[in-house]
Amino acid sequence: MKHRTIAWIISPLALTAAVGAWAHNAICSCFDNGDETITCEGGFSDGGKAVGVPLHVFDQAGKVLVEGVMGKDSDFRFAKPKVPFRVEFDAGEGHKVVIDGRDIEK
Amino acid sequence: LKSNGRIGPLGTGGLLLAGLLALGVPVAQAHFQLLYTPQAALQESAAIPLALVFSHPFDNGFTMDMGKPEAFYVVSQRGDAERRTTDLMPYLQPIQWSGGESKASAYLANPPRSVTRSLGDYTFVLRPAPYYEAQEDKYIQQITKTMVNIGGLPGGWDEPLGLPVEIVPLDKPYANWVGGVFRAVVMANGKPVPHAEIEVEYLNHEPEIAARRFNPEGKVRAPQDSFKTLSIRADAMGQVIIGLPKAGWWGICALNLDDDLKHQGKELSVDAVLWIQATDMTK
Repeated sequence: MKHRTIAWIISPLALTAAVGAWAHNAICSCFDNGDETITCEGGFSDGGKAVGVPLHVFDQAGKVLVEGVMGKDSDFRFAKPKVPFRVEFDAGEGHKVVIDGRDIEK
Repeated sequence: LKSNGRIGPLGTGGLLLAGLLALGVPVAQAHFQLLYTPQAALQESAAIPLALVFSHPFDNGFTMDMGKPEAFYVVSQRGDAERRTTDLMPYLQPIQWSGGESKASAYLANPPRSVTRSLGDYTFVLRPAPYYEAQEDKYIQQITKTMVNIGGLPGGWDEPLGLPVEIVPLDKPYANWVGGVFRAVVMANGKPVPHAEIEVEYLNHEPEIAARRFNPEGKVRAPQDSFKTLSIRADAMGQVIIGLPKAGWWGICALNLDDDLKHQGKELSVDAVLWIQATDMTK
């Protein structure tokens, strides 16, 4: 995996459906497949793959609803939760991307 | 080195043009196939509107009728995942587009967000119908690429698409600061074209897709005709380097890259166009 140096800082501004800004940072984006499933795609701004990067889906209380890892195409598909949720793409310290389920569109 | 600077069709300025030609003054205007979208670097997935117009972008000059394109598609890639090609022909909508001097047949396309909802690079490719240029008694076909990125995740922006002629970027076409330079290699049939003849124009009149016209107000004024179309040559390796002094879209066109082609019995000039966007450094 390529070297990554610049940390992703989680802030309320980061809670969008697609986030990412600086060189060599983690990027994640999710979309609603329209069939009660969600697909999240990940990667790095240097083009690096996100294969094996953990992805968690939490409810508002912080309970884990879904736990998975990015597959060979750097994506992960899961059943759309029936309750409000957030997605955390966790590529290591300083490389976490959080996406609010309300921002995920078709 | 051959020269084939293009002469604009006779329009309202036709008599003046004819006079200049009679005096032997070269009045070259660059035809440019536009494949326009407002923003090259998108933060998030979105539906990407496109305007396909054949015009003279610096001075909002004569806009030419487009026939139905031979091909229109987008090649997308997320990181080094497999490249995908999506046909966009079904989304073509014939319209009339108003240029400064004429109204002409053009196309809009509004592919849905589902076409461009993944992260990565999207190269829109247009292979227009050959255009008959009466002034030169020949056809012109400008195979055009415009590149968009979503979310900052790159994917194949620096790779050729295997087009008969194309300008292959050496810098990301969607991530250029004003004041920087942009580099690319001109290729024909998979090989670099040494000393290729290049024209560069600034999209001086911003397209207004909803109004189906160019903004009549230009952003800059050229002190003399040479500045409207910048004529340069690729180097011996087929490489082109241009400066980017102003924010907005810049068109690079490599002319007449494939010799001895014919269309309906006439000479066919096959050109390669690449559009890149320069962005101001601001807070």
